[in-house]
Amino acid sequence: MAIRRQSVVLGVLLAPVTLFLGFFFLLPLLIIALYSFLSPGLYGGVEWTFYHWNYGRIFGWADGINEIFEPIYLQILWRSLSFAALTVVLTLILCYPVAFWVSRLSERWRLVFMFLITLPFFSSLIVRLYAWLLILKPTGLFNTALLSLGVISEPLEILYTPTAVVLGMVYVMVPFMFLPLYSAVDNLDRAQVEASLDLGANRVQTFLKVILPQTLPGIMGGAVIVFIPSVGNFVVPDVLGGAKGLMIGNLVEQQFLSARNWPFGSALSMIIMAVVLTVLLISVTRARKAGGHA
Amino acid sequence: MRNPVGWAALTAFSLAFFAFIYAPLFVIIGYSFNSNPVNMMIWEHFTFDWYAGLLGLADRTTDVSNRAAYVESTGQMLAALRTSLTVAVITTTISTVLGTATAIALARYRFRLRGVYNGFLMLPMMMPDIVLGIGLLIFFVTIGMNLSMLTIIIGHCTFLASYVFIIVQARIAGIDPALEEASADLGASEWVTLRKVLLPQLAPGILGGALLAFVISMDDLVITYFVSGTGDTTLPVFIFGMIRRGVKPEINAIATLIILASVVIAALGLWLRSRKTD
Repeated sequence: MAIRRQSVVLGVLLAPVTLFLGFFFLLPLLIIALYSFLSPGLYGGVEWTFYHWNYGRIFGWADGINEIFEPIYLQILWRSLSFAALTVVLTLILCYPVAFWVSRLSERWRLVFMFLITLPFFSSLIVRLYAWLLILKPTGLFNTALLSLGVISEPLEILYTPTAVVLGMVYVMVPFMFLPLYSAVDNLDRAQVEASLDLGANRVQTFLKVILPQTLPGIMGGAVIVFIPSVGNFVVPDVLGGAKGLMIGNLVEQQFLSARNWPFGSALSMIIMAVVLTVLLISVTRARKAGGHA
Repeated sequence: MRNPVGWAALTAFSLAFFAFIYAPLFVIIGYSFNSNPVNMMIWEHFTFDWYAGLLGLADRTTDVSNRAAYVESTGQMLAALRTSLTVAVITTTISTVLGTATAIALARYRFRLRGVYNGFLMLPMMMPDIVLGIGLLIFFVTIGMNLSMLTIIIGHCTFLASYVFIIVQARIAGIDPALEEASADLGASEWVTLRKVLLPQLAPGILGGALLAFVISMDDLVITYFVSGTGDTTLPVFIFGMIRRGVKPEINAIATLIILASVVIAALGLWLRSRKTD
């Protein structure tokens, strides 16, 4: 049966997933798209009339009658994009040297540290975030330690700031950046590195001309895997961020669970979806191009 | 690396990196044994009170002397754990069947929409969970379906099938189709070949995919948060709610137990993988 064209078995294999994802994945996404163009009803419902002001309210063409334009939404969108980008950069800076280090260890230690980096995947996200709540709060471990050492005289306010949100996201996302980077670094052609050094290139040149281009696919892969869940994240800013750390995910949650403006919440979700699909599209086309050249 | 100073610096940086990952977890574990209920960051003395309280073992009549009497929600927590386990077992079963069937279909058959399916199955994994969560919420409300354990199960399956698919697909790629061809040549039907020849070879991959699905289902917060009704909540959603209401010493104890459980599961996963390569 190695390679067959069409058969009953193929239908039996594919029908369940097609029906399931069609109903419970595609349809919900289409409904979000539809809702984002409906007008909010008085008591949390929707009215079935075409209404583009949900987007106008965010991007600035609201007329002040149907909806009012408030620049805060664009600010929050910008903040979400920049926090996610910052998370990518910071996780990359942290993971790149460590990936190198682990790849140079003896077989036995490499297994130990690979186990340690995959362990967080199995442990609870909410528990790991909660740990930072304990550490960062005004009476938390960090401030208690600094106060008792006499470094500071008043507790630093870190919790409920943008710093806390980015720190939390970096902490949660680090393993996702590490794994693709590690596989790129581990597959590095060491003979080329040696050759570059032997032929007189210095370490910086060797890094820029040999190592970086070879590990670029891993960097890009890690960047996409970290950026996408970061940009729509709502748990990290909810637990660690205050009003100043609010991201677009929190805005969506508010519209659905407290403000009860579902069409506006849907419009905000459409923006998250658009960002994600754009990033995916760029990464896929880039990967294709890189593959074509090689 | 030829430069010993550079190597030492790199080693120091890397060890600091692992300390950054693990120190917060040890903070929780340490303070879960601290008896100070007012400021849990100031060490008073060692206690098992919070664990006793969690497990419902605390003597609640001696209220002042026994601080574990603070736990009023043991029953709710155990119910949440039960819901989590039930949901994880059912979703693991469903998503393993869906993911495995899809992986086999895409690896062993040529058909026109094959590329489309390949890309489409990546989408549920890449879609931010908040978008999927609210999409399902609107969908369930629109079709008039009450939020319950069933909606949580459906929500989890939408993205877990893709994870299983990825793992099983990787396993199939390493399996030589010659055995299946031999089976077909010897007159076995397509169906028998699939069941008796391909599936047994795939078993470790399927098991790995199922384990991953189970772990992710147990940990899912965002999608469950949106599609769970007032009745059934899972453990992560319960803890999320507890944290939102304020930090309490019992949370340290639950968190420590969860960390312990995840170490056991990760070790189990490692053991399975090492057996596979034998």
